[in-house]
Amino acid sequence: MKQIRALIMDDSSVMRKIVERTLRQAGVELECVLEAANGHEGLDLLERHPVDLILSDVNMPSMDGLEFLRQLRGRNLAPQTPVVMITTEGSEEQVRQAVQAGAQGYIRKPFTVEQIKQRIVPLVSTG
Amino acid sequence: MSASLRDSIPQIANPGNLDASVQEAFALMLGCECRRIAASRFNAEDSLIAVVGFGGILSGACVIRSSVPSAIRMTALITGMEIAALDATVQDALGEICNVIAGSWKSRIPELAAHCALSVPAVISGNEYWIRVHPPESKLHHMYQFDESTFEVMIVCEGLR
Repeated sequence: MKQIRALIMDDSSVMRKIVERTLRQAGVELECVLEAANGHEGLDLLERHPVDLILSDVNMPSMDGLEFLRQLRGRNLAPQTPVVMITTEGSEEQVRQAVQAGAQGYIRKPFTVEQIKQRIVPLVSTG
Repeated sequence: MSASLRDSIPQIANPGNLDASVQEAFALMLGCECRRIAASRFNAEDSLIAVVGFGGILSGACVIRSSVPSAIRMTALITGMEIAALDATVQDALGEICNVIAGSWKSRIPELAAHCALSVPAVISGNEYWIRVHPPESKLHHMYQFDESTFEVMIVCEGLR
C-alpha cells in the first residue's frame, strides 16, 4: 500500500489521535496527518494541502461535518479524495444525508481496527 | 416523525442498554473491562463532569462524573500517554467518552437513533456546581469500576415526546 496524506477532522484532539492510531494499526501507511477541529479549519487546510483521504466527525462546533462536505463538493476542492464520516451519530437518515453530500463511507464510534480495515483500506489501496 | 417515544420507555429505562454502552466504549476506546458496581453514592474531593445533551424527540442528558485521578487514568488508557495532572487533554478525553457512551446508548433505541441529536460535550471541573433539570421522567444512575477506579454515569430524560 502506498503512503498517504490524511486529513482527520474532529473537535476532540483525543479522538483525532485515536483515529490516527487506529489507521496505523489497520495497516494504513501515513506519510503525513493534518488535523482540523471543525469544517472551517478543514477547508482552509485543503486549500493549501492536497490529501488522499479525509476522515471527518459530523457533530462539530462552528461548521459541522455535513456542511463541510457540501462546501467541499460545492467548491470542487479535492474532488477525487474519498471522505469517510466517523461519528457517534449513525441513523439511516444521517447516513443518507452524508452519502448525498458526497461521503464514501460512514463509521460509528466506538470503532474497531477491523472496521477501519474493511471500510477505509479499500478506499486508499488503489492508485 | 413516527411513533411516540413513550412506546420506547421500557428500552430507555432498561439498565442493560446503559451497561452495554459503557462496556463497549471502555473495551474499544480504552482497551479495558468495565463493570457496574453496587455503590450508590459517588465520593471524590475533586471531580470532573462531562455532559452531552439530547435534543429532538428526547430532552435530557448523558452525564459522567469521575474523580480527577480516575479521569487521568481513563485519559492515559485512551491516549497511551502518561498523564501527570488534570489538563485540557483529560477534559477532552472525558468529554469524548461521554459523547461515545451517549451515542451508543441512543443507537440501541430505534426511535432515538432516528430522531434524537447529541450536543457537543461540555466539561465541568470542581465540586462547586449544580446541574438543575426539571423533574426527570426517567433516570438511570449507575456506578462503574475499571482497574481500581470508579465513576458514575447518569442518563436523565426530562421530556419524552
